Amino acid sequence: MRSLLDQGNFKYISVRLVRLLVSIMLLTFAQVANTNEPTEESHDAAVAVIEQLHTNLLEVMQAADTMSFAERYSKLEPTITESFDTPIIVKVILSRYWKNLTNQKQENFIQLFNRQTIATYASRFDSYSDEIFAIKTVEQLKKGRLLVRSEIRSKGESPVNLDYLMHNNNGNWFIISVIADGVNDLSLKRAEYSAVIKKNGFENLVTNIEKKIVEMEN
Amino acid sequence: MNRSGKIRFLPIILALLFISIASGCASTQPKDTFDNNDQLEPVNRVSFNFNETLDQYILKPIAEPYAKYTPPIYRAGITNFFDNLTYLNVVLNSFLQGKFGQGLSDATRFIVNSTLGIGGLNDIATPMGLEKHDEDLGQTLAVWGVGQGSYLVIPLSGPNTVRNTPDMVTSTVLNPFWYISNAILWPVSALNLINTRANLLEATNLRDEAAIEPYTFTREAFLQQRKYLIYDGNPPLEGYDDIFDDAEDGVSDSDTLSIE
Repeated sequence: MRSLLDQGNFKYISVRLVRLLVSIMLLTFAQVANTNEPTEESHDAAVAVIEQLHTNLLEVMQAADTMSFAERYSKLEPTITESFDTPIIVKVILSRYWKNLTNQKQENFIQLFNRQTIATYASRFDSYSDEIFAIKTVEQLKKGRLLVRSEIRSKGESPVNLDYLMHNNNGNWFIISVIADGVNDLSLKRAEYSAVIKKNGFENLVTNIEKKIVEMEN
Repeated sequence: MNRSGKIRFLPIILALLFISIASGCASTQPKDTFDNNDQLEPVNRVSFNFNETLDQYILKPIAEPYAKYTPPIYRAGITNFFDNLTYLNVVLNSFLQGKFGQGLSDATRFIVNSTLGIGGLNDIATPMGLEKHDEDLGQTLAVWGVGQGSYLVIPLSGPNTVRNTPDMVTSTVLNPFWYISNAILWPVSALNLINTRANLLEATNLRDEAAIEPYTFTREAFLQQRKYLIYDGNPPLEGYDDIFDDAEDGVSDSDTLSIE
C-alpha cells in the first residue's frame, strides 16, 4: 500500500486517471456527437431537397410570362425527378395491383407517373403574385421518416399549407407524399386509381393519365 | 311560401336530424378512408351526376361571367356578408366543442362585423385580431366521438357525411336570413348560390384538371378536408405514413382483386 502512495506512483496514477477521464469524456462526447449530428445533418439534407424544389418553383413562377409550358416542364424536370421517390410512390398508389404488373409495365408506369407529376407542377405554377414559400417545422415520424411542414404565403389570402412526407433511401432524402391543406395527394390517387382499375382495367388508367398530361400541355 | 310554410318543413328536418344522429351513432367507421367509407356509392353516384349536370348547364355558366365581371371588392363584400350570416352556427359550435376562448372571440366577431362592419359587408374583425374560424355541428359531433357515418352526396347540395347532416338544421335555423320575408329571401339566396359557386371556380377547375375519376377524387378530397377541419388543421401524426409500412411489409392485399 505504502509504495502505491509514494510520490512517483501517485503521479503515475493521477496521470492515468486524467487520461482515463479525458478518454471517457471524449468517448461520451463522440457518442453524443454521433447520435446528434447525423440527425441534424439529415434534417438539413431533407430540408435542402424541399428548398431546392421551392426555389425552382419560384423561378418558374416568376418567369411564367416568358416561359411556355414546355420550357417550365424542362426546367422542373430534373429537380422533380430527383426529389420524388417515384418507384415507391407508385407502388403504394397501385398497392395490390402493383405486383400483378410485368416489370416492363411497372417501369413504364413509373416513367408515366413522373411525367404526370412534372406536368402538374408546370401547369399549376404558371403565375406569380409575390408568393413566398416558407418552411415551418420538421417532425420526426417512425422508421426515420420526416414530415417537413411548409406554407405558401400570398398577399391578401390565407396561406396554403404544404406538408412533405419524406424518407431516406440509400442516404438520400426523397419526397414520398405531398399534403396540401390536409389533402394527401397520394391517398387521393390511390383511391382514384383503384376505382378506375376496378371499373375499366389498368390499361384504361394508363390511357387516362396520358390524356391528362396532353390536356395540361395545351 | 310564407313563414308558416317554412315551419311546415321543420318536422321533416327534425326527422332527418334524428335519423342521421341515430345512424351516425350506430355506424362503426374504419380508420382508413380507402375503399370502405362509401356504402351508399350507387345512390351517391346518381346524386353526383345530377349535381354535376345541373352545375355544368346552369350554375357554372352563370357563375363564370359573374366572377369575371363583378369587381373583386363587391365580391369580397358579398362573401363577407353571407359568411357573417352563417357565423352564429360557428359561435354555437365553438362553445359546444369546449373552445370557450374561441367561442367568445367568435361571438365578438359576429357582433363587431354585424354592426361596425355594416351588416357583415366589411370584415373589420379580422384586422382586430378576431380570427375567422370554421366550425359546424358535424365537427362538434366528431369531437364528441360520433362516428363519421357513410359518405353522402346530397342532391342540390353536394358532398357530405351522415354525421354532418344535422348541421343542415342548425346552420339553417341559426341563419338570421331564414326569418325574413320570402320576397327578399329567394333572390338573395340565389345571389348567395352564384357567389359561392364563383368562389369555388378555382377549386373545381383544379379538380377537373387533375381528376381522372371525378367522383372518387371529390369524395377523397372532401373526406380528407373534413378530417383536417375537425382537427383544426392539425390531424394526429400517428398513422400518417402507415400505407408505406403496408407497402414495405407487403400486407396491403386487403382483398383478392386483381387487374382485369
